[in-house]
Amino acid sequence: MNTLIFFQTAFAGRRLATLGFLWLVMITVAALAAPLIAPFDPLEIDPVGRLAEPGWPNLFGTDHFGRDTFSRAVYGARMTVIIGTGSVAVALLAGGLIGMISAYFTRLGHFLMRCVDVLMAFPALLMALALITLLERSVFNTILVIGIVYATTTARILYGMTLKLRGEVFVDAAVCSGAGHFSILFRHILPNLVSPLLVQASFIFAFAQLQAAALDFLGLGLPPEVPSWGNMLSEERIYVTRAPWLLIYPGMLIVLSVFSMNLVGDALRDSIDPRFKDDIAGV
Amino acid sequence: MALLEVQDLEIAVRTKGKLLPVVQGVSFDVDDNETLGIVGESGCGKSLTALAIMGLLGGTTVRITGGNIRFDGMDLLTLSDGERRSIMGNRMAMIFQEPMTSLNPVYRIGDQIIENIRQHQKMTNAQARDRAVELLSLVRIPNPSERVDSFPHQMSGGQRQRVMIAMALSCDPKLLIADEPTTALDVTVQKEVLDLMADLQTRMGTAIVLISHDLGVISETCDKVAVMYRGRVVEAAATENLFTELAHPYTRGLLNSIPVVDSDVDWLEAIPGRVPTLEEELTGCAFHPRCALVTKLCATTVPQEIEYKPGHSVRCHFSGKVAP
Repeated sequence: MNTLIFFQTAFAGRRLATLGFLWLVMITVAALAAPLIAPFDPLEIDPVGRLAEPGWPNLFGTDHFGRDTFSRAVYGARMTVIIGTGSVAVALLAGGLIGMISAYFTRLGHFLMRCVDVLMAFPALLMALALITLLERSVFNTILVIGIVYATTTARILYGMTLKLRGEVFVDAAVCSGAGHFSILFRHILPNLVSPLLVQASFIFAFAQLQAAALDFLGLGLPPEVPSWGNMLSEERIYVTRAPWLLIYPGMLIVLSVFSMNLVGDALRDSIDPRFKDDIAGV
Repeated sequence: MALLEVQDLEIAVRTKGKLLPVVQGVSFDVDDNETLGIVGESGCGKSLTALAIMGLLGGTTVRITGGNIRFDGMDLLTLSDGERRSIMGNRMAMIFQEPMTSLNPVYRIGDQIIENIRQHQKMTNAQARDRAVELLSLVRIPNPSERVDSFPHQMSGGQRQRVMIAMALSCDPKLLIADEPTTALDVTVQKEVLDLMADLQTRMGTAIVLISHDLGVISETCDKVAVMYRGRVVEAAATENLFTELAHPYTRGLLNSIPVVDSDVDWLEAIPGRVPTLEEELTGCAFHPRCALVTKLCATTVPQEIEYKPGHSVRCHFSGKVAP
């Protein structure tokens, strides 16, 4: 009930953000019900119908193996959701733990946060590339690498917030009531961090898509047989002049989804942190 | 043996590699059913003393450098973490100065009280909840069975302070430390909270350490008073003696600066100057730059604690000459 009211206020008067939210709902539905929505098997090869133009029955045309692009795009949504959720989980779990523990145990924290600083010195994509070359190409490893990259910023943010909360009187009061370290960190401090974590999650979700698409495009992300939007771009890029729809549709899907996630993230952040309110009117 | 004994407590702050003493040689004791008032201006080390007793000086910048604190025969400074936790909130509890921030904003107040109870006592959730409601009615929160499900932001400052008191009392502590419990509240609520504490003391025999800068509050509620100035107890006596035969010029100054409602003066007396900061090097009596009775002796020699009258100690070279 509270969550519902929260979403209502977050999206009130923000038409674009609401559209973005609806778009994300569509993506999620597509991901969940991919076998029901996709008219063809995304992996089925049809040499005769190669590079067919968009039309009926291949709504988005076919690729150079004759696979149905629309079906692949629908299954790609599944990858989008898996990569996004997985990366968010890894980033929040690892980054959150590091940030909170660093702020709570200051000595250990000095060391941990300097390590985080070093990792943050690398550009996100470069670090992801460096990590992925050490590992095999798989869905899990892609999630892990992207998660680690964004764990650094999460650790930074949560470090600051925990540091501030740790000085609050209610934390002292909890110590006085005999609460242990674990209880103070996870029962007293963590619940106060839920809203910043939520905002952080929505942005990581969006950035993870771009990162995953970039890795796929460079041939270092998901294994090539997995239908993902990034892989579709990567495989079909040589057909850009003969069959541009092969690039336009997945490209548009990536752009729309990332844009939507950013809009939703903005809306959530503004409703939590009133300082940013009305940055861009109506968005 | 008294319930709480503080002996020669020394606390120092580390700044720029130097250890600056903030509390020096503070000693006092509190018995069951007794209220000790600690009074002084801001920055005199009152709160630090309280935090030291509660073991909240864990950081690297502020630390206890000497003395000992005994509670019920146990040395609080050498207890293990686990032993300390079993005492905190159970046999000794603290009320903080800021009622607006001392409750966790994301939990219902009932859950916070329940957590404290169940931390120390074997009770089911339902039993603890009944106890929480009972405690809330004890601290005169109207409609306790409904308010138990309120969030802190739904309550006023006075109500929150009462919730804090309820929480502090949830396990019938033997010692209650109240660090300026009424400073953030307006006068009428102040009186209610103080009455409540006094009432609970008579009912449960709790020992109370009341920290305040308000001598009016102290005079009404405390059995004995320790006046602190820049980290030292400069005068300690039973309350009625302190107000009738005070012996330290600082106490005189504090008393003089209380506005008297029915006297017709338009100039409020104040102690000139301010409490010296930690960085300022001081020789002799810490109060001498502000004292009316200052002599050369005061600037060079730290006055020792002397027994001015039985049960009335003071740190001043001229303790007899202060006009009462």
